[in-house]
This record gives sequence, structure tokens and C-alpha cells, in this order.
Amino acid sequence: MSNRRSRQSSSAPRISDNQMIDLVSKLRQILPEIGQRRRSDKASASKVLQETCNYIRNLNREVDNLSERLSQLLESVDEDSPEAAVIRSLLM
Amino acid sequence: MQPTSSMNEEFLKKWQMGLQIFRPSIDNTSVHERKKAIKLSADVAMASLRKGTTCWSRALIEKTATEDNFLVRQMLSGIKAETLINKKLPKKTVCHRKIVRRSKKILRRKSKSASEEAAAKAKRLVKRRTQGLRNVVPGGELMSNDVLLLQETLDYIVSLQTQVNVMRSIVDAAEAEIER
Repeated sequence: MSNRRSRQSSSAPRISDNQMIDLVSKLRQILPEIGQRRRSDKASASKVLQETCNYIRNLNREVDNLSERLSQLLESVDEDSPEAAVIRSLLM
Repeated sequence: MQPTSSMNEEFLKKWQMGLQIFRPSIDNTSVHERKKAIKLSADVAMASLRKGTTCWSRALIEKTATEDNFLVRQMLSGIKAETLINKKLPKKTVCHRKIVRRSKKILRRKSKSASEEAAAKAKRLVKRRTQGLRNVVPGGELMSNDVLLLQETLDYIVSLQTQVNVMRSIVDAAEAEIER
């Protein structure tokens, strides 16, 4: 029986780890301020990832709310009013 | 790494074209249906910004097409992005449980120092958090490694920020106009 697992280069995990650290750092920059006390790098990475999940959910919720608001705006405006013309010129 | 004004402009242009195509679904319909059409067109516009080069955008196109295949195809055609509908997603990675189990057995044999144990615990926590990311990023379950997942996450957030910025501007402008 042949060995199905390929031998992993000793440098590969280190390169990957460095990439992960760099990417987590970029995530930290893109997020809203994290007002947390700094802990170890790994725990901090975990916190950044958690905040990232929360931030993405918040952005998606905001898109949902904005879609609803736009729908209501189009509903409440009379078809022939100047307001309707403005909204439609913005949107369509 | 922030959304650029050209990203905002391109999104708005694509979204406006999408809304024109979606207009029959927007006029003479309920608030709820109109909201769905607005959100769907915004998602397609956002995903099309990446021209099929990212996993999350291909997954989002596929998801929106599942919701309304006809309108999504029409919109992609209208914004000259028909090819996006056929972009393939990577196959789900199959985990070899036997190998994983054997590896875990080997790992358990070693005794760890306190610092080694703490590092292993932190690593497990990071792993759980990346799993959370897979759930919120479109196509996250299909990304085969954590580096790719984080790269896609960064790009997805920038695109989401673009979407929110533009939509918020439209809402604010419309509400200001109504108050005049």
C-alpha cells in the first residue's frame, strides 16, 4: 500500500502562518474600531475574526434595511408628484 | 483598503441599469416584493463588480439566480456580464476522516507544556472563528484553505461597504428631497 499522504515541507506551515498574520492585520484595519484590550496574538486573531463575522452580518442587515426603506419611499410617493420624479431619477 | 469612489460609481451605474430592467417588478407591486427586487438588483450589481474573479462573487451570482433566474439573467445581460452566470464554483473538499482520526491519535500521545497547551487552545479558537467566517461569506464553505478565505473576506467586506455607501446616499438624498 502506497503512502497517500504527501510529505509536507517544513517551511510551508510557516509561510502560511505569516500570510494568515498579514491577512488578519488587514482585516483589523478594515473593521470599525475594536475597543478591546490587547491579548496574545492568537487570541487577538480570534477576536478579529469574531468581529469580522459580526461586521459582515451588520452590513448585510443594513443592506436589508436600506432596501426596505427605498421600497417604502417609492410606495409613499404619488406617481406623478415631483418627489416621485426625483426618486426615480436617482434610482432608475 | 477602502472602497474607492470609482467603485461606488461603477456600482451605482450597474445598480441603476438593473433597476430599470427590474422596473416591472418594482412598479405596481407590494412593498415586500419591491424590497426583494431592490435588494436582488443591488446584490447582482455588487457581485458583478468583480467580473467573476472571486469565489464570493460567483457564489452570490449563483444564489441570486436561484432566487429569480429570469431577472438575474436579464440584468447580467443588460450590464454586459452574461458570462458570470456560467462561472463555475470549486467543488466541496472531501475530508478524509481516517487520516484525520489517525492524526488526532498521534497528537494525543504527546504531552504538552503549559505554553504549548495554551497555544493549541488559541489555535482551536481561531479555527472555530474561521468556520464562522465560512458561514457569512458567500461560497465560504467551498474555499479550500484559510488564506483564501481571508483574502475573499477582505474583498467581500470592501464590496459590501460600497453597496451600503451608495444605497445610503440614495436613501438620504430621497428623504431630503421629500422634506423640502
